[in-house]
Amino acid sequence: MQNLLVFIGMAAVTFFTRYAMIAALGREMPPLVQRWLRYVPAAVLAALVAPAGLAPNGRLQLGTNVWAMVVGLFIAWRTRNVLWTILSGMATFWLVRALGL
Amino acid sequence: MTDFRRGLLASLPLAPGVAAFGLLYGMMARQVGFRPWETVAMSVLVHAGSAQFTALGMWGVAGAAQIVLTTLVINLRHLLMGASIAPYLRGLHPLRKALLALWMSDESYALAIAEYERGRGSHGYFLGANSGVYVVWAVSGLLGALLGMAIPDPARYGLDLVFPLAFLGLMMAFVRDRIGAAVAVTAAVLALLGFYWLPGKWYVLVAGLLGSGLGVVLEEVSEPCKTS
Repeated sequence: MQNLLVFIGMAAVTFFTRYAMIAALGREMPPLVQRWLRYVPAAVLAALVAPAGLAPNGRLQLGTNVWAMVVGLFIAWRTRNVLWTILSGMATFWLVRALGL
Repeated sequence: MTDFRRGLLASLPLAPGVAAFGLLYGMMARQVGFRPWETVAMSVLVHAGSAQFTALGMWGVAGAAQIVLTTLVINLRHLLMGASIAPYLRGLHPLRKALLALWMSDESYALAIAEYERGRGSHGYFLGANSGVYVVWAVSGLLGALLGMAIPDPARYGLDLVFPLAFLGLMMAFVRDRIGAAVAVTAAVLALLGFYWLPGKWYVLVAGLLGSGLGVVLEEVSEPCKTS
């Protein structure tokens, strides 16, 4: 029961972070803000990619993961397709590991 | 095909990544002493992977207020995601906005905003992507709790790379020109630095803010005549 209360607290603050800006930015924004918001997705997604791809275990790891990310970056750039990016990156991971590079 | 189903299907390629971490979460939750229903209840209510893993690490060690506060801080990055997706949801009924915000994960945000950006996005698609990730996360958490120790580390199979690879693919929708590329590269470098020197998930918020700010600055510098 007490655990459930903590979950509800966690759920409430999580919902707040997800909803707050969507609710607050409901009207037409000043042009400068609009232009800034256009760059947010690229920045946020890049910020999610870099540590997860290059330091998957919390430390910088220059091994199989880097090969996978480099191939993934190339395929993402050429195809702009999520599925191909995942498949090519994973295939590279498996291939490089099987070859023992 | 309805937009909802398109969104649901679009979340499928990410499912192995979500499920791998869901299983791990379920297993860890059992080790902390959660019953299976509690393990699922946390996923169903909170639906925030990083925050849930962090909460497990604090369980029994920290107080309830501290766990809730940490959850808030870890999820502050969603403010930035919400801000950038807000223009597409303008005019929507507040309850519908709330429904879309409720299950907005990093993954479904990335799927939805890339689709909006390409002009094919819709609220149905957004909800579908949200729902796909939500269900896989909850179910895999339950399986992890039931299977217990039999689960191998996702990293052994490279499954921890599914997310960064997916985000990479989705990011390309926003790397349209040199400024977009500069924003992405800068944010990536800042995120790596922040990952080492900032606690928790602050690196996403900081790199996201500074990277996108740089975009506006570069735009001003490269087109000084353009009046806004």
